Amino acid sequence: MSLFSFLGTLEIGFIFGLVAVGVYLTFRVLDFPDLTVDGSFTLGAALAAALILAGVNPYLATLCAMFGGAAAGLLTAWLNLRFNILHLLASILTMTALYTINLRVMGKPNLALIAEPTVLSPFESLGIPNMYLKVIFVAAVVIAVGLLLAWFLNTQYGMAMRATGANPRMAQANGIVINEKIYAGLALSNGLVALAGALFAQTNGFADSTMGIGTIVVGLAAVIVGESLLNSRSMLVIVFSCILGSLLYRLAVSVALNADFIGFTTSDLNLITAVLVGLALILPHFRREWKARKAAQGGAA
Amino acid sequence: MIRCEHLKVTFNAGLATEKRALRGVNLTIPQGEFITVIGSNGAGKSTLLNTIAGDIRSSAGRLYFDDRDVTALSAAARTRDVARVFQDPLAGTCGDMTIEENMALAYGRGNRGGLRLALNERLRQLFREQLSRLNLGLEDRLDAKMGLLSGGQRQSVSLLMSALQPSKILLLDEHTAALDPKTAALVMDITDQIVAEKKLTVLMVTHSMRQALDHGSRTIMMHEGQVAFDLSGEERSQYGVKDLLNLFAQIRPDGEELDDDKLLLGA
Ligand SMILES: Nc1ncnc2c1ncn2[C@@H]1O[C@H](COP(=O)(O)OP(=O)(O)O)[C@@H](O)[C@H]1O
Ligand SMILES: [Mg+2]
Repeated sequence: MSLFSFLGTLEIGFIFGLVAVGVYLTFRVLDFPDLTVDGSFTLGAALAAALILAGVNPYLATLCAMFGGAAAGLLTAWLNLRFNILHLLASILTMTALYTINLRVMGKPNLALIAEPTVLSPFESLGIPNMYLKVIFVAAVVIAVGLLLAWFLNTQYGMAMRATGANPRMAQANGIVINEKIYAGLALSNGLVALAGALFAQTNGFADSTMGIGTIVVGLAAVIVGESLLNSRSMLVIVFSCILGSLLYRLAVSVALNADFIGFTTSDLNLITAVLVGLALILPHFRREWKARKAAQGGAA
Repeated sequence: MIRCEHLKVTFNAGLATEKRALRGVNLTIPQGEFITVIGSNGAGKSTLLNTIAGDIRSSAGRLYFDDRDVTALSAAARTRDVARVFQDPLAGTCGDMTIEENMALAYGRGNRGGLRLALNERLRQLFREQLSRLNLGLEDRLDAKMGLLSGGQRQSVSLLMSALQPSKILLLDEHTAALDPKTAALVMDITDQIVAEKKLTVLMVTHSMRQALDHGSRTIMMHEGQVAFDLSGEERSQYGVKDLLNLFAQIRPDGEELDDDKLLLGA
């Protein structure tokens, strides 16, 4: 792998680290499987690109992208909490609606950012080669977000959010308003995913209406890789294991794609990822069944 | 004080599975009174406690804490006054979170402060002190996952958690039923200590006649969603387990057998 493609892999790995922590928030913290992220990643990219092209300051554009993602998360939570629509279905509805909204935001299927200013522009005068600058910038953003999120999950509010997912009845018995925590968690999660989309659009120079497809699976893969590496009670370790999981996942994918003898192409990626995540979800299931069978045999003997 | 006025709860109203779980419960519990609640399975004991806690909305009737009408208040809002321990030791705590995190959650009941760290040294010290009352060695395992503890240990911690914040009302729903006799006795001991210390108004559902008579100062029996009898004072002090069983039999003239005599008679 060339240095250039290695740096590119790191950059994407860090950006998807944001997706991974977002997915961790919904799937693990809130126990709310949320597929909205496929749409909110694209929404973040679309909003950032469209606003920047309209002459808006890139930082303001990125902030707007985050609020857009948060709004999408709120919509999913509302469909689920207000109308009792199953969480998966509620998030699929939002995701589908976002597909149209993203096209409307962009006005066409894709937008290119070529000479436009981006969040990186203020740092270009530092004289760091662009390929390094991009990685350093996204790494700094992702690490800062990771630190903030780990701190947040240890605050009274964050801990209440964790209890909401872990044991809603207990949470309620301790005065926690669980619906509010679910709204907040989905907004935060999708806001972070939209931030990832906005950064992706600015570092890669484009936004595309189909770029979000499979985001959820990649995020989940990163969470699972991280979890299997580090098993800790510390929120800091857990959050950073999601980010590490994303980096490792990207590196593994990039190695696989670069190994000519395997013959994988980029278009095989979704299938490979789906199979990997599928296996990660299926294995614990088999392990449980196997254990149960062994216990049953032991009981009978 | 808790006052239930003609409290009714109907599950699945209008469906074939309609169940009138509470059929007009009238009950006044003065401040600081410890009531034990008995009754056969399905009598509505848990429903009564869940309705007082706000988990279940009453379909008719009113509920007062002191002189405040709390009928419309959410479960979360009622936790300023109400603490509770569930029958299932897994229900009252988060298994994925540590002992200290669980206690911090309970400590936040009633005054959740937002973006301040939920744990600090002062709180850890408080939690250690509280845990050392149990003599289970848990004070040295603050950062162990709750899921690693036994049912009895978890239930004991739940009980301590219910008393971390001042509250007026404590609801115990068969909170020793899932425990072995020795642990159950320990948990009952701590229950009595906490109730006396905090001068709580208590409703304790129990399957054990012995427990019902030995603890608290008043015993009610529920049957088919109503308070079938209400025993206190002199009369209660003369009651034995046998007498309670006779009362049971009177209420169920069809001669229906109690579900599990051993449980009912046991410690
Ligand atoms: N959520 C529910 N939905 C439907 N029926 C319920 C529900 N909860 C309790 N019931 C029914 O209400 C009756 C009273 O239940 P409960 O209060 O749990 O009795 P117990 O006295 O054993 O605690 C039972 O017949 C039970 O089946
Ligand atoms: Mg019950």
